[in-house]
Amino acid sequence: MNNTFHTIKSVNEGLKKGEFSVEEIAADYQARIKKENPKLNAYLSVFGSIPDSRFQILDSKLAGVPCAIKDNILIEGEKCTAASKILENYVAAYDAAVVGKLKAVGAVFLGKTNLDEFAMGATGEKSAFGPTLNPHDHTRVAGGSSAGSGAAVAADLAVYALGSDTGGSIRAPAAWCGVVGLKPTYGLVSRSGLIAMASSLDQIGPITKTVEDAAIILNAIAGHDPMDSTSVPTSRELPDYTANLNKPIAGLKVAVPKEFFGGGLDDQVNNLAQAAIAKLESLGAHIDQVSLPMIEHAIAVYYIIVPSEISANLSRFDGIRYGLSERNKTLLGVYLDSRARGFGNEVKRRIMLGTYALSAGYYDAYYLKAQKVRALIKQDFEKIFEKYDVIVGPTMPTVAPKLGELDDPLAGYLADIYTCPVNLAGLPAISIPCGFVDVDGPNGASKKLPVGFQIIAKHFNEVKLLQVAHNLEQVLRE
Amino acid sequence: MSEITKKEVEHIAGLARIKLGEKEKEKMASELGAILGYIDKLKEVNTDGVEPIANITGMENVLRKDEPSEKPRRDVGAESVKLVEMAPEKKDNFVKVPAVFGE
Repeated sequence: MNNTFHTIKSVNEGLKKGEFSVEEIAADYQARIKKENPKLNAYLSVFGSIPDSRFQILDSKLAGVPCAIKDNILIEGEKCTAASKILENYVAAYDAAVVGKLKAVGAVFLGKTNLDEFAMGATGEKSAFGPTLNPHDHTRVAGGSSAGSGAAVAADLAVYALGSDTGGSIRAPAAWCGVVGLKPTYGLVSRSGLIAMASSLDQIGPITKTVEDAAIILNAIAGHDPMDSTSVPTSRELPDYTANLNKPIAGLKVAVPKEFFGGGLDDQVNNLAQAAIAKLESLGAHIDQVSLPMIEHAIAVYYIIVPSEISANLSRFDGIRYGLSERNKTLLGVYLDSRARGFGNEVKRRIMLGTYALSAGYYDAYYLKAQKVRALIKQDFEKIFEKYDVIVGPTMPTVAPKLGELDDPLAGYLADIYTCPVNLAGLPAISIPCGFVDVDGPNGASKKLPVGFQIIAKHFNEVKLLQVAHNLEQVLRE
Repeated sequence: MSEITKKEVEHIAGLARIKLGEKEKEKMASELGAILGYIDKLKEVNTDGVEPIANITGMENVLRKDEPSEKPRRDVGAESVKLVEMAPEKKDNFVKVPAVFGE
């Protein structure tokens, strides 16, 4: 892979200096996608038209910068499949709020990226249209569920991409593909036009090559939207998320939860995470070990709340309103047959699990219990944030697994062990690359696989989150 | 490991409106049993007196005035035509469905 990647900043400068035009940079990316995508399967659809050069005159860092959008986020007039057979031919009737915001600043959309079906998966293998492969090693997964967005940015098939994160779906592919992934605070970015998976956890965010680029995207997509009643009204103006990037972090208090370094953590991943923590210390941050005792229950809580919300959200895919429909004499027959044929195994499994958890007699034991333990998990984080600015640790317990390695449903669920507690607490978090580990590749050759480092901050404290991430990114690059 | 019977799987599949084949039912019973076995450890957590989370950022019901907006954000009329077009079966500007009460 080449290392002369375009960032938002470099494309913006290139356009301003006239080194290339909007049409030329878009055509360049389209050609790269045509060549590389058949191998990686990062894009599910690619847009053919060359953008209008009027974007060049817009006074925005994003004007004319080519990007990719996860295929569960609507772009008017384009297919939106959620990587499911049941939406194979669905064409979006309106723009998602985030897409509207990007259009308004002149973004150029290259296409829609692959994902685990309806964003349900940690590896990117559960797409109905085939897995996305990891650009660093084609025998390994890209990480899910925003697999195509992670792989596209890592392979420079887009300058940046949008993903969605319910339990780690932006941070996992960012970690395993070696790029930056930001999951904003729940409610900071509108979910209007995002095909809902688990509504109390879903959040849209950017996958980029640098922390600065992530801050630029957040500036463009954050803010209250009356079309999403869970988006938080902002009484005052939102901060400039790029403002504090270069502000030193000396004196900042960093918490390292021992639960992020327990059993199941790969030794080499542990070493790189420890090295990143040492770098934070060298920048003058104060490091303490802490404990978040309740997060041991996070996966169990997550796999009650998520399937429950899925079973409700996906009831709309009934063979009546969208795409795939099996003909039957009775209405019930249409439902049963369309859903049987349209949904993949993981989707069916989660709908069944959620239906069970919400069924008569089980609500208190499962959903209500989970929402109570969720409150305890949130309190654990709040206690730490009374004294500390950020919480850090590895993003994923291992490097990218081989295709098929996490086929067992429960094994796949456990991959989210460090990421899903963050969604349960609604906090903002970022994954940045913190180095590579050597693994055995095919024919005895060794391969280098990237490792991600996760930083978590208080609700709506993305400014500090990005400041720490940017400072660390600079010293990790040295 | 929690046990889920084939009969329970059939009941849940009916509620979820998903038709499952015989082999799928068996596989689902064992997979759901394994996942529920893992989830069941939550029962050990003491949650006496804990208020369940409703919205993680603490928002409560979000209401708006029941008034037409002066400037609609989107052309919902045109959108509804597009939405109906997406339906597999339609007549005029309506979605067509089989009879609800049978023949």
